[in-house]
Amino acid sequence: MIRARSAAWWVAPPLLCLILYWPGLTAWFRADDFAWLGAGLYNRNAHDLLISIFGPRAQGTIRPLSERIFFMLGFRVFGLDALPFRIAVFVTHFANLALAASIGRRLTGSAAAGLCAAVLWLANSSNTLPLGWTSVYNQVLCGFFLLLAFHFLLRYAETGQRSYYWWQWAAFLAGFGAHELNLVYPAIAAAYTLLSKPRFFRATLPLFAVSGVYVAVHEAAAPGPKTGGYAMHFTGSMLRTLGNYWTWSVGPTFLYSPLVLPKWVLPAGVGLVSAGLLCFVAWKLSRGWRLASFFLAWHVILLAPVLPLRDHQTEYYVFLPALGLAWMGGWALAEAWRAGAGARFASIALAAVYAAMALPAALATSRWSHDISIRVRHLVEGVQAAHALHPRQAILLDGVDSELFWNGVLDRPFRLFGLDEVYLAPGSERRIESHPDLGDIAGYILPSGVVASGLARDEIAVYDVRGPRLRNITSIYAAIPRDNRPPLRVDAASLLAQYLLGPEWYPSDGDHRWMPRRATLRIGAPGAPGHKLYLSGDCPDEQLREGPLDVTVSVDGSTLTAASIHPGENAFHLAFPLPDQVAGKAEMQVAIEVSRVIRPASDPRDLGLVFGVIEVK
Amino acid sequence: MTHIYRVRRGAAARLVLPVLTALLLLVPAACKRKKVKVATDEETPRMMSVLNVADPKADPQLVKGFHGVEASAWRWTEKQFTVALRPPFGSAQKGGRLSLKLTVPQPTIDRLKSISLSAAVDGSSLPPETYTTPGDYMYVRDVPANLLGGDSVRVDFQLDKAMPPSGADIRELGIIVFSIGLESK
Repeated sequence: MIRARSAAWWVAPPLLCLILYWPGLTAWFRADDFAWLGAGLYNRNAHDLLISIFGPRAQGTIRPLSERIFFMLGFRVFGLDALPFRIAVFVTHFANLALAASIGRRLTGSAAAGLCAAVLWLANSSNTLPLGWTSVYNQVLCGFFLLLAFHFLLRYAETGQRSYYWWQWAAFLAGFGAHELNLVYPAIAAAYTLLSKPRFFRATLPLFAVSGVYVAVHEAAAPGPKTGGYAMHFTGSMLRTLGNYWTWSVGPTFLYSPLVLPKWVLPAGVGLVSAGLLCFVAWKLSRGWRLASFFLAWHVILLAPVLPLRDHQTEYYVFLPALGLAWMGGWALAEAWRAGAGARFASIALAAVYAAMALPAALATSRWSHDISIRVRHLVEGVQAAHALHPRQAILLDGVDSELFWNGVLDRPFRLFGLDEVYLAPGSERRIESHPDLGDIAGYILPSGVVASGLARDEIAVYDVRGPRLRNITSIYAAIPRDNRPPLRVDAASLLAQYLLGPEWYPSDGDHRWMPRRATLRIGAPGAPGHKLYLSGDCPDEQLREGPLDVTVSVDGSTLTAASIHPGENAFHLAFPLPDQVAGKAEMQVAIEVSRVIRPASDPRDLGLVFGVIEVK
Repeated sequence: MTHIYRVRRGAAARLVLPVLTALLLLVPAACKRKKVKVATDEETPRMMSVLNVADPKADPQLVKGFHGVEASAWRWTEKQFTVALRPPFGSAQKGGRLSLKLTVPQPTIDRLKSISLSAAVDGSSLPPETYTTPGDYMYVRDVPANLLGGDSVRVDFQLDKAMPPSGADIRELGIIVFSIGLESK
């Protein structure tokens, strides 16, 4: 009987996890997942591999274990089969739940409190993305290392065995491979020892030194952004942010509910649960249980690094901090159960209020996240099938909406099976909500003139993506009369734009194309005066070794003001004001010339610049 | 103050149980998961002469200016909207008739008082029609045979005014359209 209870104690949280978040287990990839899956796609040597694993990416983050190695190795072994990735996420979280229950039991002395804590944590809707979107595995794995390190600290404090201390160190150091949030672990260890085991406090101090070094090295390698959503604001806004995250920890994230409720219901529920928790802490503190404040400390310490992110508040930022309040709630439930009918009723009522707020949001967002990923799967696998049928043609997608673009196109999943030439139909920008901070939709859209030209040469297959199955509509699409003037934007690397380029250009190298000393192209002319011609591309270091490189542009025979690319400006963006007389013309003849060329030993060609995009704006 | 919970087995051993259970629970998911059908629909569709704008097959011919399908039957338009239609058999000799089934809703008349609709077939204008009361209408115009010679024609519709985006609806709203078609005379 005892064995059965013990087994049930361990198994109940994982079972509940599966029941609540099953859509997460069966989800596919989406959005950032594709960037990580393709992180090692172009590696040619060990140096490239090291950069892929340790180079700062996405807001300067360096998460080799939870993002780089996890995705690169997973993709190499399983390809685009998402299930092994999802199983890894869930198994890691099962370990987290076991650790959370075990730590809760050790801290409170109550097995029931530990179990309740794990269940309350699972009910929080901040679990949805960590368990439903593979890119957020970093949170799950970071939680694992934090909890494991803390577990070993507790064992060290209980037994005095030095080996636990060193196991704690190992888990702590490994945690830096999962997420930078790991750096707060020393504060957690210090808070615990100060409040409960002062004798061990000094043993936590070396941990701070490691976190300090990590911060210094990370800041040197990838300084935090000073502007935009990820800029840090050390102002009073941090308190407001903390307030938001508190409400998301004791109620549903974003205070969202799929149920139609009067406006006062959720704030009232959040107030009730908060009052219950704080009363319990006050009562425990009044009776000398200083450890009660550790649970609040856990919540605040794990939130501290994201509190300055005033303009980027995300639901999964409370995923790990919420465990502190879950421990407190579990403890309160266990204590109230033994304290008599009144306390028992009150605690159960509060837990029910919490569950009624959090669970509908968790279930609805879990399903929502799953359904998006399945739409993305239909798109990506449909394009793969279309490419197999039409290997020599570019694929043009018609009917892509906001959800599909930001989750299934932006990170170019098609390159994972070697397909670069996938575009959106002209006019798609009208169906897609703009998010300039995430990406530029224009770079994905094939201009109308290029489409007309490509269709005439049978270089494009057009698919309607509105349904669950991609539908080949090339014949209809080709029959629709469309504007076939040269576009205002020419992607020089694209094979479809080749008809606009003069004979001087070298063949496309996939995502770029070299020009010799001089090259010409046709491009659309602006409708009104005051526009500029923008050139963007790359200029290799070899080309800039002898100093600035002069770039001369002429339009319809008139030479524009010259510009130069200076050493260090490898990714160049040049702007040339256009003469007013070109406005209203159907097209312009553009000639680009550089002041010198290079001829590397490995390439006998005269190389000028790498393009890039030429655009009239 | 901390309780020391005494246990007989080590932490690693106790982690094994939930992890093994988890693996056992996940095996069925791995075995039973459904294969997603990824084949594409390669059946060559024909351009249509008559479009029910709610029909997903009509989507590629709704070139611009249409909002999403509502009530599985109709769409709001913007101030300008465009379709591509296949000239029906014989229309290149006898000429054709363009028809558009529409509704002018009460809020449009309340706000705009009247609304005029005109059309152009491959750039050649057809006479406008003005609606001053809400209701269901059919905009019908003859199209000369010389405009219907190709595989498809572009029909541009234009309203003289539309309801601009507002707090209640962020879309520009013109009229409600059910179908647009070309038939031979």
